[in-house]
Amino acid sequence: MTSIETPTENPTRPAIARVQGLKVHFASKKGPVHAVDGVDFDIADGEMLGLVGETGCGKSVTGRAFLGLIPQPPARIAGGRILFRPRRREDTSEDTPEFRPCPTCKGADIVCATCNGSGYDTLDLLAVKPRTMRAIRGRRIAMIFQDPGKALNPILTIGDQLAEVFLQHASADLLADIGGTGDMGGLAAGAVGRAARQESGRLDGILSRVPPVRGHLRRLRAALEDRIAAALAETQISNPRRVIRSYPHELSGGMRQRVMIAQALACDPDLIIADEPTTALDVTIQAKIMELIKMLQEKRKTSVLYISHDLSLVRRTCDRVVVMYAGRVAEVGGVREVFAAPRHPYTRGLLDAIPRSGETRGVLASIPGTVPELVSPPPGCRFADRCVHVMPECTRVNPTLQPLTPDQSVSCFLAHPPAPGAAHKEPELQET
Amino acid sequence: MSVTDPNAAPMRETAFSVRTRRWRELSATILSNPTTVIGLVIIVALLAMAVFAPWLASPNTPDPYQMPRDWGAVRMPPGTPGHVLGTTNQGGDVFYGVVWGSRTSLQLSIVVVSVTVCIGIAIGSIAGLVGGWVDEALMRIVDVFLSIPELIFALAVAAILGPSFSNIILSLCIVFWVKYARIMRAQIILVRQADYVKAATVIGDSKFNIFRRDILPNAVTPIAVQATLDMGNIVLVGATLSFIGLSESGIAEWGVLVSEGQAGIASGRWWASTFPGLMIFLWALAFNLVGDGLRDALDPRTEGR
Repeated sequence: MTSIETPTENPTRPAIARVQGLKVHFASKKGPVHAVDGVDFDIADGEMLGLVGETGCGKSVTGRAFLGLIPQPPARIAGGRILFRPRRREDTSEDTPEFRPCPTCKGADIVCATCNGSGYDTLDLLAVKPRTMRAIRGRRIAMIFQDPGKALNPILTIGDQLAEVFLQHASADLLADIGGTGDMGGLAAGAVGRAARQESGRLDGILSRVPPVRGHLRRLRAALEDRIAAALAETQISNPRRVIRSYPHELSGGMRQRVMIAQALACDPDLIIADEPTTALDVTIQAKIMELIKMLQEKRKTSVLYISHDLSLVRRTCDRVVVMYAGRVAEVGGVREVFAAPRHPYTRGLLDAIPRSGETRGVLASIPGTVPELVSPPPGCRFADRCVHVMPECTRVNPTLQPLTPDQSVSCFLAHPPAPGAAHKEPELQET
Repeated sequence: MSVTDPNAAPMRETAFSVRTRRWRELSATILSNPTTVIGLVIIVALLAMAVFAPWLASPNTPDPYQMPRDWGAVRMPPGTPGHVLGTTNQGGDVFYGVVWGSRTSLQLSIVVVSVTVCIGIAIGSIAGLVGGWVDEALMRIVDVFLSIPELIFALAVAAILGPSFSNIILSLCIVFWVKYARIMRAQIILVRQADYVKAATVIGDSKFNIFRRDILPNAVTPIAVQATLDMGNIVLVGATLSFIGLSESGIAEWGVLVSEGQAGIASGRWWASTFPGLMIFLWALAFNLVGDGLRDALDPRTEGR
C-alpha cells in the first residue's frame, strides 16, 4: 500500500492515519442511509485534529470506524480505506504478521522519508484481521467515550478495570517490574508469567497458594497497582490509591472521565479517538478535561482525533479541524485559518451560530433549514438546500474537496468555480 | 513514573478485601429490610432442620426417606405421646414426615433451580451473543415450551416418565429452564450494547474475557432474583405433582404427605396434611420475602444509597 496524494495532504507533517473515501451505509426500511459518504482527511503525527459537525453528520461513525466498532449489520462499509501507520516501538511482541515493515527502508532506517522513521508499512484498519485489530485496540489506538458513567463496568472497581489494559498489553513490562521471572523456579516462573498474561489455568490456582509463588504473585499485583496508580496520577486525579478501590458510582463525572483518560493513555497509544469526551460533563469540568487531554497529548506527542460539536473547545485545543456536513467533509484546515476565514458557507454558519459575550441580546443566529435526508440524497452539494449562495451547479454536481492554500481545503464552488462542462457529468461517475 | 501523592494510602487493602466490601454493602442493604431478615431466618431454620434431621427424628430403617409405619398407632391426634404432630392413616408419624420431608423438598428445589438456571444461562447467552439463526431457532424452541402452561407441561412429562420422586425433579428441570433462557437472552442483548462493553473491546480485550467480566456479571441480576423466587415456587409445583400422585407413595415428602392426608380432612383429621402444608407455605413465603429484598438490593437505582 503506497500513499495516495489527496487534496487534504498536509505537507508539513507526515500523516499517522489517512481516511480515504470512507463510505458507511446503514440499512433502514426506506433504503440505505448514506451516513458517511466519501470522507477524506489526514491525521498528522502528533497533532490534535478536531472533527466537528452537527448531530448525525457522521463524525462519530467515522471515529468508530478506526477501531472496527461499526456494527455490521445494520451498517455496511460501502467503500474507502483507513490507512494507519503505527509508530516505532521497542516492544513488538504484540505485532501480528499484518504489521509489515516499511517497503522502502524495511523497517531499519529511522530517517526514512516514506515511513517517517516508523519502520512500518500502513495498515488498512477496515481490512485487518480480528487478531490484528485486537493488537491495535488499546495498544496502538485508544478511545475515550462520550459518557464516562456508562463506559465503566458498574460492578468492577476502577483498579480491576484498569488492570485489564496492562494485563492485556503490558504483561512483559509487569514482569520486568518485578525483576523478571529468571530467578524463579521453573514452575513458579510459569505460573507468574501466565498470571501476568491472564492465562492462569486450574493448576495455577493451586500453585498460587504455594508460598514462593504466592510471594511473586503478590509482588506482581503490587507492580500492577503501582502502574495503575501512576496512570491515574498522570490525569491529576486526587488520591489515586483510593480511586483504585472505588466503584464507578462512587466517583464524580469528571473523575470518571479522568479514569477513562488514564485507561486510554495507559499503553501510550499512537492515536486517541476522543468521541465527544466532555459532552456528558459539567461546563466547568469540560475545559479542565480538555486541557488535561491537550497537556497529555503534547507531553507524549500522541495524535488525537477530537470529535466534538463544541467549536470553542476545538478552537482552544486543536491544531487543525475537519468540518463535516451530512456525511461529507465541507472544509479542512488549520484551526486559525478556518476560524479566521471560513470558506464554506456551512462553516461560516456554524461559526456565526456561536453566541459571543458582549453582543446585544437578540435572536440567536442559526442556519435556516434542516440536514437533508440521507436515504437517497439528491445529487450535488448536500448543503445546497440551506445555502444562501446556492448556484445552479450546486444542485447538480458534488463539489470535491480542493486545496485553497497549503493549510486549508474546501468543497464549495464559491471557492473553486466548477470547470466548464463539469455540470454535465453524472455525480455517480464522479464518485468512483 | 512514581506516585508522589502524599495522601496515597499504604497498600493494606487487598483486592480480596475490595471484593468483600461489595458483599458487605450488599448484605447490609439486604439486612436493613426486616421482612427479608424474617425470610432468611425461616430459610436458615428449615435448612437446619434438614441438616439435623437424624437428631430430630431417628431415621427409619432401611430407608429414612420412607414414612415409618406404626400400625398400632394410626390416626392419632397431635399431642399424643411419641407423636407430637399426630399420625397418618398408615400410622406414619407426621413430625417425622415434616422433618425428613424438608430434605426431599429442599433437595427438589435446590436441584431443580440450579440445573434450570445453568441451562437457562447457557442457552440464553448463546442466543443473545451469537444472534442470527441460532438465536431464532433457540427462541422458537423456547416459545414452544412457553406455549404450554408450566404445571401442565411438567405434569405431562412426569406422567410419561412414570411416577417417582426423581422423575418429578427431572420433569421440572425439563420445563423450568425456558424462563431463565428468555430473561438471560434479553439481558445479554441489553448489556452487550453498554458502553463499558465497547470500552472493554476498545482496550483489546478478548471476547471471552468481555463476556466473563463485563457481560455475564451485569446480566445475571434478574436471574438471581427470579431463581430466589422460584426456590419457593418449585416446591409448590413439586408438591402439586406429588399431590396428584406422580410421586412414590409412602415417601417422606411434604407434597406427598399433604396429598395422602387430605382424605382425612373431611373426617376431622386435619393434622396429617396441615403440618406438611405449613412447611411448604413457609418455604415458599421465605424465598418470596428474600427474593423481594434481593431485588430491591440489586436494583441499580438503590445502589450506593
